[in-house]
Amino acid sequence: MTGGVLAEGLSKRFDEFDALIGVDFAVPEGALVAMLGPNGAGKTTTIRILTTLLRADAGHATVAGYDVAKQPQLVRGAIGVTGQYAAVDEDLTGRENLVLVGRLCRMKKKAAQERAAALLEVFELTDAADRRLRTYSGGMRRRLDLGGSLMFAPEVLFLDEPTTGLDPRSRLDLWDVIVELKEAGTTIVLTTQYLEEADQLADTISVIDNGRIIEEGTADQLKDRIGGDVIDLRVHDREQLDEAVASLIREFKAAEADVAVDRDLGSVVVPVGGDGGGSAALVTAVRSLDAAGIRIDDLSLRRPSLDDVFLHLTGHAAEARVGAKKRRGRIPTSGVR
Amino acid sequence: MPRNEEVAFLQVECDDMTPVAPARIGTPEERAALPPLRVLADIGLLAQRNLRKSIRMPMFIVFSTIQPFMQLALFVFVFGSVATVGGDISYEQYVVPAVLIQTMTFAGMGSGIGIARDLDTGMIDRFRSLPIARSAFLVGRTSSDSLRLGIQAILLVIASMVMGFRFTTGLGPALAMVVVVVLFGLALTTFSAWMGLTVRDPETVQAAMFIPMLPLVFTSSAFAPISELPEWMQPFARWSPVTAAIDTARGLALGDEVLYQVNQIHLSEAFLHFVIWWLVIVVVFTAMAVRKYRLG
Repeated sequence: MTGGVLAEGLSKRFDEFDALIGVDFAVPEGALVAMLGPNGAGKTTTIRILTTLLRADAGHATVAGYDVAKQPQLVRGAIGVTGQYAAVDEDLTGRENLVLVGRLCRMKKKAAQERAAALLEVFELTDAADRRLRTYSGGMRRRLDLGGSLMFAPEVLFLDEPTTGLDPRSRLDLWDVIVELKEAGTTIVLTTQYLEEADQLADTISVIDNGRIIEEGTADQLKDRIGGDVIDLRVHDREQLDEAVASLIREFKAAEADVAVDRDLGSVVVPVGGDGGGSAALVTAVRSLDAAGIRIDDLSLRRPSLDDVFLHLTGHAAEARVGAKKRRGRIPTSGVR
Repeated sequence: MPRNEEVAFLQVECDDMTPVAPARIGTPEERAALPPLRVLADIGLLAQRNLRKSIRMPMFIVFSTIQPFMQLALFVFVFGSVATVGGDISYEQYVVPAVLIQTMTFAGMGSGIGIARDLDTGMIDRFRSLPIARSAFLVGRTSSDSLRLGIQAILLVIASMVMGFRFTTGLGPALAMVVVVVLFGLALTTFSAWMGLTVRDPETVQAAMFIPMLPLVFTSSAFAPISELPEWMQPFARWSPVTAAIDTARGLALGDEVLYQVNQIHLSEAFLHFVIWWLVIVVVFTAMAVRKYRLG
């Protein structure tokens, strides 16, 4: 039996909308693969197919060696799922939520209670264990939700945007748990729209956009694909931003799509290519901007970030900066409701 | 619950391992096996969860019980003095079985609302991703709701007796009437469950259920004998599932003779209608609800 996750040619169409178009995706046993993409790219659809919640129109997938379409019950016996929104019961206590999941997974009452207590301890929920979830904060619900998907120590764990909407501290705590799970040998599929998260946690990253996997590799491999370094600069007067962009594109012969412009900050990121490289590029940039009479507040030369990679690959940013997420359920991000 | 070899439970062995990811707790095969006893245990666990949730909303229970009491009082004390039906019985005797059935109709909506809420909070996705029997969620829901309806029906029967209602047929038929009333409620919970899975929004479910339910209840023998209804309405009323249930309940509570006097139908015939309707409703809506649940 081969463990891990293997998906070949997964396609899914909703009404007139192609959510997935021939997605190939592989996670070796014990690895952590991040699926990185913006909202609506197809991350959740992929997870729902792999966790037997949705049937693919075409393609084939196995999880922990079981076929998701032909052996869904065995797949369910091998996986843990934590979704974008905590799937926990408001009217039950934290402990009751976990014990219910454990018992539904065939654990004896006592075993389920012991396991629940251990997980509550890990997720720092012991004090709140016997309170109903109405009093839990968003971060506490997410932790409990993750606890639920760990009740039987699943072979494969699916984490669908586990940190979306969490405060920075809760996010770091969750990262620690994910690392611990990975070290214990759990195969993990993580979807995220946060580049930093993929960079920090994943062995390899699959970049997904508009229902297609457009690139795969380690974070370093992806960064190398941009070829060389980038110059990141901020102009003093935003009125001069367009002029600066035009001048830099001319100077470095960069494709317009690869240049990231942030109008709010008045900043621009330009790939400077391999030749000449490094400090020569800096000098060139300064000279050309100076010749055009453009004042600069900030200028740096650096390795491309995953953000730059994403822009390079898709022509748009991965992280949604403005606008709310499409809501599919309640998002308990605040404390007491 | 009886235990045999088939129901071997999983044990945790995590003493010397990290608690987040202990040594495996069973294998996927063990967790996914579905012997019949396990299916029953899953249904029990999910029904227990629903009941626990209801008990934690005491005000909801109080109000949802008071409301039919008030309705009962309204029909008995207000209409009871002005309305008359044929035969030798008072309006009060006539209307109590109808109020019971009507209460089941509206209380049955709770199933759909509960299911829509579980969809909304992601609980259904959680259950669907666990290795439990596909049927356990829906059967668990209808079981706990039937218990809730049964308690409500018994409370209402007691209240109606305090207000002067009398069974004229003896204990056996009286109990049979309660069973018929609850069975009718159970049939409606399957319809309600399907509605909940289809409409998916708790508030909308409630509003959407009223649309077929209200005319169905009033276009029946519930509050007036069918012969007193407008002529165009009579065929609908005669073949209505609500009429079948109410007349069966009446026949059991008041006797076949009285039923025939007021509604020109024998208990055996009303019961046959009830059985056919019951089977149709339960089979059709269970199948449709299970399909919705599986497809997500």
